[in-house]
Amino acid sequence: MEKIKVEICCGTACYLLGAEKLMNIEDMLPEECRGKVEIEARTCLDLCERENLGGAPYVRFNGSEIMDRATPERVISRILELVEGIG
Amino acid sequence: MDSALFIEMEGAQFTKTGQAACGDDMRFLTVEKENRHLAALSDGLGSGVKAHVLATMTTSMAIKFLESNVPTLEAAEIIMDSLPVCEVRKIGYATFSLFDFRLGGRAKVTEMGNPGYIHLRGTEEIAPLRDETVVSAHWPDREVRECEADFRPGDRIIMCSDGVTQAGLGQRRDMKFGWRRSGVLAFARRKVEAEPGISAKDLSEAIAREALNLAPGGCKDDISCVVAYLRRPRVMRVLTGPPYHREHDADYARQALLGVDHTVVCGGTTANILERELGVKVRVSLADMRSSGGLPPAGTMDGVGIATEGILTLSRVLSALEEMRAPDREPAAVKAILERMMRHDRIEFVIGTKVNESHQDPGIPQDLELRRSVVRRMAQALERNYRKNVIINFY
Repeated sequence: MEKIKVEICCGTACYLLGAEKLMNIEDMLPEECRGKVEIEARTCLDLCERENLGGAPYVRFNGSEIMDRATPERVISRILELVEGIG
Repeated sequence: MDSALFIEMEGAQFTKTGQAACGDDMRFLTVEKENRHLAALSDGLGSGVKAHVLATMTTSMAIKFLESNVPTLEAAEIIMDSLPVCEVRKIGYATFSLFDFRLGGRAKVTEMGNPGYIHLRGTEEIAPLRDETVVSAHWPDREVRECEADFRPGDRIIMCSDGVTQAGLGQRRDMKFGWRRSGVLAFARRKVEAEPGISAKDLSEAIAREALNLAPGGCKDDISCVVAYLRRPRVMRVLTGPPYHREHDADYARQALLGVDHTVVCGGTTANILERELGVKVRVSLADMRSSGGLPPAGTMDGVGIATEGILTLSRVLSALEEMRAPDREPAAVKAILERMMRHDRIEFVIGTKVNESHQDPGIPQDLELRRSVVRRMAQALERNYRKNVIINFY
């Protein structure tokens, strides 16, 4: 099974607005999920100047799905949904 | 300075065990308008604070006299006349070694009481062109040695205090008279043979550390070593910020590769431009993510160098440079940039001047310094505190 790809934007705005709390997200995942997820820090996802999005920090799932105003709780719950095949 | 050459002058020091202050002092000065580079090393009589005062007085006077072209013997006499007299020994005394080099010319080395300097061309020792010893009429027991050296590109000059040449003395059976100048020379040759491009910083540190290792019971005397190394400059380029005009992106990205030994990319948007224009990818390891020390993690860019976040990281680098903090305790990205800056001679900043609109978000809790002002202050600190040659270009 292909791993779920999670990219965390580490640009200045994202970092200041909360991406720092996302750096250890792998450690917060349940043990059985860890092998199924690939978490990457990205220098910048180039999303913060897009007008139709809600604001930093941004996380991207599987290369296309964007989450704005990401928090560890929201990112973890979305990862769990993806692992279980929901959505 | 002639853009083809650079002189690296660095020193390393260890303080005598149990003393609060080092009784040796090292000082460096670059006289830009004369293309001239000066170094002074002094060993104050005794050790601790008293020796420290004698040594720092000597180096600060000596370097001023050198800069003002005061004849050496006269300068030495003024220094000896000025030093406070030790109550115990009834003399005021500090040794010195002075290095004076004008780019394109010869080097002058002047010594009083310190071990003789070493001039290396590769691993070969080079004798001075002129070697004279003069005696002061005023201080007949003090001899001042003046040498002129044919200092060519690739050459190194090593000066040290007797804490180096006498290391091991009385502590090791195999070194009855300590490490001696011949031991230092053999060690320096081996170092240069193993690593022909070894920097002045690394060589001075290796010599000082070896002297320390030869004293198993602790450092018996202050240890200082200064190395001057004339060579092609090592160029590091720092790219930060997107260009004002998007059509300049390709040209800007090429600056990461042209005529440079190492490139650091500071800024997410900047890294994206390079990824797009050069077809390279930034990789950030998970371990780096976990231990980034309160700043966004640094990544690597194949064939280019490293990539970090922009203004937060640069602001922290700036404060470390201004306060001359050691890189070791800094967050990983800052440490990586500082260590690279220390290893290079010329630092070229390429600044994109486009304003990052996302930084104007009212939700951003800190004042973000302007990129241009941070870089300008970094350039000043690199020149003043680290004698680096700095160039700034705007895009």
